[in-house]
Amino acid sequence: MIALRPGDPVDAGYPASLRDLQPAPDPLWVDGDPSVLERPCVAIVGTRRMSPYGERVARELAGALAAAGAVVVSGLAQGIDCAAHRSALAAGGASVAVLGEGITSFLANARGRRRHLAVQLRARGALVSPYPPVVPAQGWMFAKRNAVIAALAQAVVVAEAPAGSGALITAADAARLGRPVFAVPGPIGARTCEGTNALIASGAARACLGPDDVARVMGLTAPAAPAATDAVLEALAAGALDLDELASCLGIERSALRRRLVGLTLSGAVLAQGDGRFARGAG
Amino acid sequence: MGAVARTLGCALWGLETALVTVEVDVANGLPHFAIVGLPDTAVQEARERVRAAIRNAGFEFPLRRVTVNLAPAERRKEGTGFDLPIALAILRATGQLAVDPDGLCLGELALDGALRPVRGAMPRVRRALAAGIVKAFVPLGNAGEAAALGAETIAFASLRDAVAHFEGVTRQAPVGVPAPAPVPRSTADLRDIVGQETPKRALEIAAAGAHNLLLVGPPGTGKTLLARALPSILPPLDPDEAIEASAVHSVAGLIDPERPLLVARPFRAPHHTASHLALVGGGTPPRPGEVSLAHAGALFLDEFAEYQPQALDTLREPLEEGAITISRAGGAATYPARFVLVAAMNPCPCGHAGDAGTECTCLPDAIDRYRARISGPVMDRIDLRVHVPRVAYEELRDDRTREPSAVVRERVCAARERMRARGRRSNAELSIAEVRRHCRLDADAESLIGEAMRVRKLSARGYHRVLRVARTAADLEGCDRILSDHLATALLLRAAP
Repeated sequence: MIALRPGDPVDAGYPASLRDLQPAPDPLWVDGDPSVLERPCVAIVGTRRMSPYGERVARELAGALAAAGAVVVSGLAQGIDCAAHRSALAAGGASVAVLGEGITSFLANARGRRRHLAVQLRARGALVSPYPPVVPAQGWMFAKRNAVIAALAQAVVVAEAPAGSGALITAADAARLGRPVFAVPGPIGARTCEGTNALIASGAARACLGPDDVARVMGLTAPAAPAATDAVLEALAAGALDLDELASCLGIERSALRRRLVGLTLSGAVLAQGDGRFARGAG
Repeated sequence: MGAVARTLGCALWGLETALVTVEVDVANGLPHFAIVGLPDTAVQEARERVRAAIRNAGFEFPLRRVTVNLAPAERRKEGTGFDLPIALAILRATGQLAVDPDGLCLGELALDGALRPVRGAMPRVRRALAAGIVKAFVPLGNAGEAAALGAETIAFASLRDAVAHFEGVTRQAPVGVPAPAPVPRSTADLRDIVGQETPKRALEIAAAGAHNLLLVGPPGTGKTLLARALPSILPPLDPDEAIEASAVHSVAGLIDPERPLLVARPFRAPHHTASHLALVGGGTPPRPGEVSLAHAGALFLDEFAEYQPQALDTLREPLEEGAITISRAGGAATYPARFVLVAAMNPCPCGHAGDAGTECTCLPDAIDRYRARISGPVMDRIDLRVHVPRVAYEELRDDRTREPSAVVRERVCAARERMRARGRRSNAELSIAEVRRHCRLDADAESLIGEAMRVRKLSARGYHRVLRVARTAADLEGCDRILSDHLATALLLRAAP
């Protein structure tokens, strides 16, 4: 683990974008590869209580932007953050997690899949914190974490957020710093999308309709998304369906549908949600 | 009158039995009564019961040195079943009984000389029959068990009756084979379950192939009802299974004396606070647990994630081997435990993850932790995992006739017939070599399983289990070859949740 200081010589590794913050975090603790912080970064943030739709969107965006060469920055919280980190790594890209507590403290307390993800991030990106290594998390510490995420990124995308979500604070920070802010539109009336929809309605964020929109402002080109030519994928575009609903929607036999669904799940184009319904996957 | 009198008893350890020769020597000396041959406390106490019973039945207990030896002497003996053979041997040795009892003697004595039934009569009589001993002398309460096995069963109410019978004073007629009990009607019928087409199909596959099933869904959507409908579509017990399962119930002392043979497959539903010993059995000597009492039937574990992790993990061996070996200081006991596991659980702590009607309040990590309570090795042995969704109001009000259990059961029985033709009771019992021989895939299915192995990283066990389920899906449709639809069914049912 190293500590980078804003007063260091310019080539010492302190990310230039962080100097936009007043005051800039001093020092910035980095565990992993500090050079990824110099590459074009995109922040993908959102709620912890994500819907399957939010998960899909976060995965699609993170995967495509990572493949385009962007480093995906997020907060390693449950939900959208983790989905974005995972998808970026799965696409072969790098990803950076900014923590709202000391890095050592986080690793000591994290359990299960999130700890596993943190270890992967350390190897294929970096864990970053404005707090000294052994400082445990307190509620008030996350505001600074959000500001660091906003400052590191060239663009901030809010994948899914209800009203009052912490991700909206990140979006406000980004707007203050002059970073382009995107929000993914969600279904009207869905509580988990109220925050993101409000961002778009108030003009505080641009609507993000796909990875292209974000890649363009960063000067990158996202790989062309395969068009949904499969009837099953088209049927699932509006939302998750179970086998019976899908069969009646497409008007085909369940036996034929099962074979196609298994093929699509295996290729990653369709995701079995675990509640008997199938959703569009990110692959 | 010979110096030593002999009668035949039988020792029981778990389901394991050994014929025991009860030898009695009555010698001159100070009055003394000793039992040797590794008797446990219950057998030691036979001294008091036998002494009182002989006296109160109107006979005379010898005021001499009485030695009882239970041979083979190095084998541990337990339980009260030796009272009758010991008493008869003493009467024989003292000349109060003129003839040797020529069969297996079994029974506990009351102080007044009445005979009481004992646990585990069925495996003991079965052992004697296997050794060519066709006569069984048992208490009235065990008569049905012995007669059901085909033994020439003479049942007594008391020690007096027994002596009168042997001496030819009042001959008892052999007990007839008890009439089979009427098959009880299942409490739940598939006809009563609205919607839930996928779970019903999974239930049918589970019943046909004896595959394990996990039902996941919000509270109140019918998981328990579905599980309780399983007995209504299970095929009937075949005679061998009935005897095996009844023997376990006999050891546990759960036999109805009037109807000793089980006619319906057992359906055991222990509460989720059950300990691991309650599930797999334990104690000294080891008594059968729920997994063995469910042998040849179904074990229903509701609120699966609420069981102690230790209890769930003890299910691993019985799920794989179809038997459980319980080792204790006194020796190990093996009980059969081949059952269909039906487990039901909520998808998350609040119960509403994936529920269209109610919003789930659990964070993703909490859901991960909840699901992690079912360990990987246990989950790997559950072939069918299906979500039981909330049923819409329109469907609930839909009065169209639905398929009754009887129709589904016919399909299940036809599929079992195909399985029997391959030499196994169900596809779940297919060995790996048999899977290779009988689970032939068409070309499309072949490429599908290859891709699934690559992407899903199925374990070797998972691979064979998928093929067994696909085999069952094909059997239900009467197909010899496994088509891609059958395999897709198996893969979809094995996937989430």
